[in-house]
Amino acid sequence: MAEARGKVEIDQDECKGCSLCVESCAPKVLELRADLNHYGVHPAEYKGDGCNGCGICFYVCPEPGAITVYKMAKTPATEVADAATV
Amino acid sequence: MRQLCKGNVAIVKGAVLAGCGAYYGYPITPASEIAEYASLLLPQVGATFLQAESEVSAINMVYGAAGAGIRVMTASSGPGLSLMQEGLSYIAGAELPVVVADIMRGGPGLGNIAPEQGDYFAVTKGGGHGNYRNIVLAPASVQEMATLTMLAFDLADKYRNAVILLTDGFVGQMMEPLDLEMIEAKPPEKPWAVKGTKETRKSLITSIHLTPDELEAHVRKLEAKYKEIERNEVRWETYRAEDADVLLVGYGIVSRVLRTTVDLARQNGVKAGLFRPITLWPYPSQALREAAKRCQRVLTVELSTGQMVEDVRLALGDSKPVDFYSRVGGNVPTAEEIFAEISAHLPALA
Repeated sequence: MAEARGKVEIDQDECKGCSLCVESCAPKVLELRADLNHYGVHPAEYKGDGCNGCGICFYVCPEPGAITVYKMAKTPATEVADAATV
Repeated sequence: MRQLCKGNVAIVKGAVLAGCGAYYGYPITPASEIAEYASLLLPQVGATFLQAESEVSAINMVYGAAGAGIRVMTASSGPGLSLMQEGLSYIAGAELPVVVADIMRGGPGLGNIAPEQGDYFAVTKGGGHGNYRNIVLAPASVQEMATLTMLAFDLADKYRNAVILLTDGFVGQMMEPLDLEMIEAKPPEKPWAVKGTKETRKSLITSIHLTPDELEAHVRKLEAKYKEIERNEVRWETYRAEDADVLLVGYGIVSRVLRTTVDLARQNGVKAGLFRPITLWPYPSQALREAAKRCQRVLTVELSTGQMVEDVRLALGDSKPVDFYSRVGGNVPTAEEIFAEISAHLPALA
């Protein structure tokens, strides 16, 4: 797998287990945990690998502050501009 | 690396090297590859690509990002540019540095998706309301699509002004060798921007000045800025113009055809030369007067029914006869066709 372009942190105490983020995640790297949090629901969790940093989970999440997305693996501009494109 | 590249893609590569931090746009033929490759390349360098729901929202997103101090661009073709004119007027009023590419297609209205140069008036003379000017650059090759995009970002920041890359569907769609110096630009600090920080708390991005004296002062300030741009940023090139009897004037893809026409005419014993404006505003009037000094006639060729020719006539006045030839609707004249037009005026040459 290519180098991860992002990572997700989900606050396990804020998550209400609605699974909107799990459903909307394009690379399918989020899942609901088998155990329960203090609300008594299955909170969402990052599988730990494969996030592309798109941020869709952040936008669909109804809980303010529950999901934080980090965009990573910035490629140097000179490398991107130099790569052949057709 | 020297590579084969499409004109529209070269704009995005130029933007990447210029440190463009955001692209907001809506695809339209023949400019769609700019949005396509912005969506592919910009996220790789940590920049934002967002497809807006229309060109109206795109240009206002551009306004917002520029106000936040980010190098930002959008691209479209005629119908989209029409929708963006209100935003461009606000951008001029708020003095925001933005880059807009207009890959001209046939018009008016939906017209067609073939190359034309009918947006010249709308882009160089304003288009939106109020007293303002956009700097207008006219690339004529894939190489220039990249280098003039980088220049556009520098000029936009230097003058806090919109810079429009005005070219046609031909230059946008064609593929040519591209050879870029791989140096990443460092965008300047912008203390005037609104960044949501303590330091920029007093920054204000606005175009409203309700009292007449205040607005006059603002408009005069803009006027002085435009005069400074007219003094400093005029760009053009000539080809075999030094001893020309017939001076051909054209920009974009037309200048490429005219270059071939110059060689064809000279093979047939007619001393032709080319004057090609690179900045369409400020228009290189003084340089054109210099270049036309020796010639007997001037022939302006455009893919419009006569827009830039007005600036040519304004520059030359009655000093030289200015002829005009055009093709529209997506047709591009051949060198032979233009040479026939020159030949029609040959008896007039001494």
